[in-house]
Amino acid sequence: MKPFRARGGSLVARLDRAEAGIVGLLLDQLEQLLAADTTDIADDPVLARLFPAGHRSDRELAEDYRELTEETLRGGKADDLAVVRATLPADGGEVRLDLDQAAAWLRTSNDLRLALGTRLDIDEDTEPPDEIVDEADHQLAVYYWLTAVQSSLVDALVAARAGRR
Amino acid sequence: MAGPLAPTRTPETTEEERGDLDRPWVTIVWNDPVNLMTYVTFVLQELFGYDEPTATTLMLQVHHDGKAIVSSGPRERMEHDTSRLHAYGLWASYQRDS
Repeated sequence: MKPFRARGGSLVARLDRAEAGIVGLLLDQLEQLLAADTTDIADDPVLARLFPAGHRSDRELAEDYRELTEETLRGGKADDLAVVRATLPADGGEVRLDLDQAAAWLRTSNDLRLALGTRLDIDEDTEPPDEIVDEADHQLAVYYWLTAVQSSLVDALVAARAGRR
Repeated sequence: MAGPLAPTRTPETTEEERGDLDRPWVTIVWNDPVNLMTYVTFVLQELFGYDEPTATTLMLQVHHDGKAIVSSGPRERMEHDTSRLHAYGLWASYQRDS
């Protein structure tokens, strides 16, 4: 991976074939999650993290909030995901994004990290795996790889924004 | 349990309710172990137009104190702010200011 950089009005990165493949698989999983039934939210910690309660103690307000916002939230996430899919080089290569596409990448990569992080029970003390012996290590490595991608994208967007002024 | 029907509200109740209505609502961002500090700062700037030092201060408050109030106002606007934060994956909720 060559991290994201601001270049002119674009954000540019490079993914190798394996990395692009992993992102593609993660997008498939997220897409399935986003299509899941609303009633499952309480039973699924990942869905609960992607669609948090609007109010923490008042159930009625929380339900009102969900009714009011969930469809829009779900639709926005699905739209972002479609943008990432359309701009992801399936066999690896350059990723070149305008600012709107970059915002979609930012939100979707965050959703992917939230989903993985929740599933892996990440906390503030979690560290990248020293070596990869099992599936959990592999998932954790993917999580930290996504963190590096997203981090470079945030930095590049901040740089692009400073450049616009 | 049912008491006698009160024909008019007592002054205390009325005052208390009015106080309740005046009390603004707030949107809170809660700390979570996944969202990057740079990302939270970026999102607060993007959504609320905060300058970089203000957004950074709020982000650090979330990080160190576990939460920060990022906006306040009428309930409908706080619902809206919360949903915009949820669109970015921040862990947010709204409530009456305490």
